[in-house]
This record gives sequence, structure tokens and C-alpha cells, in this order.
Amino acid sequence: MKKELEHQFVTLLEENQNIVHKICRLYTSDQDAHNDLFQEITIQLWKAYPKFRGDAKFSTWMYRVALNTAITLYRRSKKKIRTQEIDLVSFKMKADEYDGEEERQLKLMYDAIKELNDIDKALVFLFLEDRDYKDISETLGISEVNARVKMNRIKTKLKTILNP
Amino acid sequence: MDELEFLKKDWQRKEKSLPRLTYDQIYEMIWKRSSSIVKWIFYISIIEFVFWATTSFLLKDAEFMESYEAIDHMIIMQIFTYLGYAGLFIFMYLFFLNYKRISTNDNVKKLLKNILRTRKTVKNYVWFNLIYFAIVASVTVVIQVNQNTDIEMLHDKFIIDHDESFFYLIFYGITIVSIFIFCVLIWLFYRLIYGILLGKLEKNYKELKRIDL
Repeated sequence: MKKELEHQFVTLLEENQNIVHKICRLYTSDQDAHNDLFQEITIQLWKAYPKFRGDAKFSTWMYRVALNTAITLYRRSKKKIRTQEIDLVSFKMKADEYDGEEERQLKLMYDAIKELNDIDKALVFLFLEDRDYKDISETLGISEVNARVKMNRIKTKLKTILNP
Repeated sequence: MDELEFLKKDWQRKEKSLPRLTYDQIYEMIWKRSSSIVKWIFYISIIEFVFWATTSFLLKDAEFMESYEAIDHMIIMQIFTYLGYAGLFIFMYLFFLNYKRISTNDNVKKLLKNILRTRKTVKNYVWFNLIYFAIVASVTVVIQVNQNTDIEMLHDKFIIDHDESFFYLIFYGITIVSIFIFCVLIWLFYRLIYGILLGKLEKNYKELKRIDL
């Protein structure tokens, strides 16, 4: 029974691991921390899994537990071994897919997002992941209207950065 | 095109460049030990309960307390002892009740609230102890002044060439200042633990509350 649960969980997480990696990219700034956070999220997901009821989608439930871990439970160990810095923009993308101006704009926006506080980051993240406001408000525990208002403020802020 | 829509598209494109772990790598991870902040809070809280409970028991057995055996004031000390036990059990019970409520299945705000509430129980227990010690110390000092032969000798020597009220002023003054310094030290120590443990949580909780104002 337990073995079955393990198998089920690991398979689901393997399929949906992108979500966790993206959160790690957003909340950490080097590879060590990324791996560290990934591991902590995995442990927390596994611990919470028995309470996961099939009434929500696995991925929706994952957003919640993973963000909870990043925002609340995770404590960056003070080891300051900076291995390779993670750059949200490069992501090993082929530069020639965009022209110079678009590339510059993206870089500016990603840099600005990295500077946001934990909560704003979560909002932007869920927005980029195309979650609707009902979902965003339920994940963070704020009202839908206020989630919208806050998101609009962040959008305006990002736009000002692009067009000063 | 809207800049943010452009960003969203790019974000989704970048999925392709994300690292990928294998089934076995993930399987291995689920057996690793968590280093979550809640675990730290749990251990530190338990240490605090044990520390404060031990301190009050040790104090009860302290040498100067034994002098009460012969004195009628024993009953007061007994009441304090029961109060101490009652406090410990009530706060421990509240602590476990709150701790069990912490769940990552809750939304971010509720999770933060439950963690902070759990810590608050421990904080209240520490306050309970500080007040408790201040009262016990004051009562002890008052009793000692009236009954302790050493203090009586000191008192008698002192009043040969000083005013008697001056003696009490110094005596109580020293007591109050010592209790005060002790409390400040404990308070500073807690600010430190709190800063390290809860700084991030408090900041994020405030931010979420601000959004909903």
C-alpha cells in the first residue's frame, strides 16, 4: 500500500516537476539554493500528500504547497558558496529568437521581478502561470478583488520600468 | 503586444530549458530530512518549555527555599508551585493544539497565521514565567528581610551610622534593579531568536494583511 502511494506520488511529481523548478528559479539565486529548495518542496509535498484529496487537480494543489514552502518554511542555509548564478533571462535560450530590443525588455522585467518581495513574486508567478484570480486568491488567502488590484499595481510598476 | 503578455509567452517558452530530475532522483529526495522553519520552531519551543520548567523546579529546591521549611510561609510557596505546574500544562496543551493546526495544505496566509500563533503561545509562556519569577522573587525578598538572620545582622550593623530607611532603599533598590536587568536580558535573547526565526514570516504575513486592508 505504502509502496503504491510512493510510486503514485513520485510519478505525479516527476510529470509536474516544472512547477517546482520555476518556483525555485524565482525564489533563489544560485544553483545550490535551487537544489536545496527543490528538495524541501519535495519533502513537504510528500508529507502533505496523504491529505491531498482528488477534488483539486494535482498541479493546483502543488502550487499551494510549493509556494507555502518557498514563502514560509524555507530557510536559506547561510552557506555562501555561490556557484553559478541563475539568470532568469538566459535560461540557455537562443538569443536570436528575439531582436535586441525585446531581449532588453525581457531582461529588465525579469530583473524587476527578482527584486519583488516574496508575496508579490508569488502573485506574478501565478499570473505568468496563467492561473485565474479565483485560484490566486485561494492560494494566497487574500480576496479576489484585492488580488486583482495588487496585480494591476505590479503590472503598472513593471511597465514604468520598461517605459520610464 | 502588451508587455506582460509578451513576458507570459516568454515565461512559458522557457519551460523547455528547465532542469529535469529523474524518477529515481525524486524518489531519493522524499526520504531526506526536512530543514523547514516549522521544524526549527518546534524544537526550539520544546527546549524553551523544558528550560523554563526545569528552572522553576530547580528554584523550588534551591538552598534558600529550604529555610522556609521551618517557616509558616511554606504555604505561599506551595501555591506558587501549583501555579507553575498549571501554567506549564496549559501552555503546553495550547502549543500542541496550535502546532497540529499547521498544514501546508492551507493557503499561505492561514499557514503563516498558524505558525505565528504557535510561537505566540511559547512567547506567552515565557512572559508567564518572567512575571511569575518577578512575583516569587519579590515575595521571597520581603520574607527574607523579615526572617533571615544574616540580613538582620547586616541591618543592625548598617543602622549604627546610617538611617534605617536608607538601608531598605538600597536593599529593595538592588533587588528591583536585578530583576529588571534579568528581564531585559531574557527579552533581548528573545528578540534575537525571534528575529532569526520569524523575521521573514512576520514580514510576509504583514504584507498579505496589507493587501487585504
